[in-house]
Amino acid sequence: MTEKIYTITKKNLFDLFGRLSGTHRVIVPYEKGENFHFADFDPKKEDSIELGGIRQSQPLKSFINPPREGMLSVHNEGSKPVIIAGVKGCDLSSLMLQDFVFLQGDYEDPFYSKGRSGTMLIGNDCTYAKETCFCIAMDGAPYPKKYFDMNLSRMDDYFVVEAETDKGNSLISSFRMFFAKASRADIDKRQYNRDRVSAQIKDFINKRGTKNTSQIKDAVMKNYNLTALWQDFASTCVECGACNLACPTCHCFLLFDERSKENFKKRYRVWDACLYRTFARVAGGANPRKHLYERLRNRFEKKFDFFPKALNYFACTGCGRCIDACPGNIDLREVLKGLVDGKWNKPPND
Amino acid sequence: MNNPYTYTEAEIVDIAEETANIKTFRLRPKSPIAFKAGQFMDVTIPGIGEAPFTPSSNHNVKDVLDFTIMSAGRVTKLLHQMKKGDTVGLRGPYGLGYPLEKFKSKEIFIVGGGVGLAPLRALLYALFNEVDDYKKIILKYGARTPKDIVYKTEIDSWRKKAKHIDIEITTDVGDDIWKGHVGIVTTILKDLDVNMEEAVSIVCGPPIMMKFVTFKLLDLGFRDSNIHLSMEKNMSCGIGKCGHCRIGPYYACKDGPVFTYDKIKDLPNIWD
Ligand SMILES: Cc1cc2nc3c(=O)[nH]c(=O)nc-3n(C[C@H](O)[C@H](O)[C@H](O)COP(=O)(O)OP(=O)(O)OC[C@H]3O[C@@H](n4cnc5c(N)ncnc54)[C@H](O)[C@@H]3O)c2cc1C
Ligand code: FES
Repeated sequence: MTEKIYTITKKNLFDLFGRLSGTHRVIVPYEKGENFHFADFDPKKEDSIELGGIRQSQPLKSFINPPREGMLSVHNEGSKPVIIAGVKGCDLSSLMLQDFVFLQGDYEDPFYSKGRSGTMLIGNDCTYAKETCFCIAMDGAPYPKKYFDMNLSRMDDYFVVEAETDKGNSLISSFRMFFAKASRADIDKRQYNRDRVSAQIKDFINKRGTKNTSQIKDAVMKNYNLTALWQDFASTCVECGACNLACPTCHCFLLFDERSKENFKKRYRVWDACLYRTFARVAGGANPRKHLYERLRNRFEKKFDFFPKALNYFACTGCGRCIDACPGNIDLREVLKGLVDGKWNKPPND
Repeated sequence: MNNPYTYTEAEIVDIAEETANIKTFRLRPKSPIAFKAGQFMDVTIPGIGEAPFTPSSNHNVKDVLDFTIMSAGRVTKLLHQMKKGDTVGLRGPYGLGYPLEKFKSKEIFIVGGGVGLAPLRALLYALFNEVDDYKKIILKYGARTPKDIVYKTEIDSWRKKAKHIDIEITTDVGDDIWKGHVGIVTTILKDLDVNMEEAVSIVCGPPIMMKFVTFKLLDLGFRDSNIHLSMEKNMSCGIGKCGHCRIGPYYACKDGPVFTYDKIKDLPNIWD
């Protein structure tokens, strides 16, 4: 049981990141006020690195499928392999969908494939939850279950380390001197912490009455023509697309061509947002989703009907970023509650 | 690894002016391209943008491909300004072609509107390749005015390909010289010598036309699983990744662009 589970002190971990920085781009989470964000490992800023806390502001896709990427040639020589440390369960579980979209089917996406295989994912337990966290309602957990190479669970001033893949195991064996074997007590303590944060999230879910995946099943299509609900929730939407861009599972993009100053022809992939009016518009201005409420509904249809059918996966990880990001106070949990209960209460805009 | 987002160069070797706003571009790609009638390709103006079109030529010819393009917006306007000898980009083919095996030994009932005749021309040429394999080939084509009829000079030669080919053209409004039928395309969908129960129908045109033609065909007794519709959706990647072209559980780019009506009839807002 304690096989493959180790401990590492905070000092050793940062030394390890320092060593790896020579050959890798190492990305870690920093704490700023109440928020966390990913940035390159900088030993001078060690004090604000936080390998605990909650999910960062950037979704994981930012590093595997960047918001804007050149598409005419796959090779950018000399780019270093990437290590991202601190990835939460809600972000890792989004890879089920992203891998399905970009790696499967008749065409494998060579850019995603390169980003994915060239990135080592170091997962990380949440040490508390925020009111907008509802991963458990979406079949997730506040700690990584899958898709990580190695995981860090923060104790007081050390971490419990678990390797999941060959990549993770070989990192540990290459730097064996930094690691110690975990004890039974370490593992029990990790479990205690996981249970504690899970209980906190369940408490948030119960207090709000947030629906879970088995309740949501079929809810969108059953209420497809409940126009009043969609219109009510869309009434404060400003079409900024923040919910799409912040979402770890949203994968839509646009190919965009331009000429550089030197007249080089370029093609980019840029993240797109289905809330934008232009998303579904066709030639001559015809638009199957002219109204905002239709576009908001489309987002829910894609997440809670299309992907459950295509992949047996609800395309929401409960990270709550869209709720935090929305300037119109549109709360996905409230929309889902409205769909399941048939009554809703759209809080006014701030 | 193959990069599906990049294009191969193709030279414009000929341009035919079909109507005031429709041209047929004959493109010679650097290396031959195999496609099936009904599939589509993305035509790129390098550094400017791309848009999806269905080749309108015979799929047995792989070294030059025709694209019949209506000037409808940013990219198509610029395509219309290009000249013989200019270079564009091509990627694809994408999507599923027409299910020709399913059409074998059947009566084929084709209904086209406007520039929607482009993919149907590729289909007709594919049918002509093995013309005796099909019981009957009927084309009903509607254009806005006589001046908007595409492939004018060619259509007569299609009539002569075989005895069991029957072509009728109508225009929404006539003019002084037009001797053919006047009225929207649904007005020539009558007195048909077709076994509707068994025949297959293929429809391509503006959404509103497809909607009314579909209803008419159902009225006439065509089976919903025998009505093939080209669904035009906003497309970017063409390969089922970018999310733009979704229709219910399908992506038009990979599961279409042609769908039988039974597959989509219960989905919301398909005609919008
Ligand atoms: C499968 C398929 C086959 C088709 N076959 C044919 C055919 O054979 N002949 C024919 O004439 N037409 C065909 N069409 C329609 C044709 O693709 C459109 O007319 C064409 O896309 C119009 O492009 P546009 O830029 O000229 O028009 P616009 O109206 O300017 O643009 C159309 C759409 O492209 C997107 N767009 C605009 N600018 C950009 C940009 N800078 N970057 C990215 N996207 C942008 C927008 O979402 C816009 O709604 C087909 C369409 C499909 C889906
Ligand atoms: S065009 Fe991108 S998914 Fe169909």
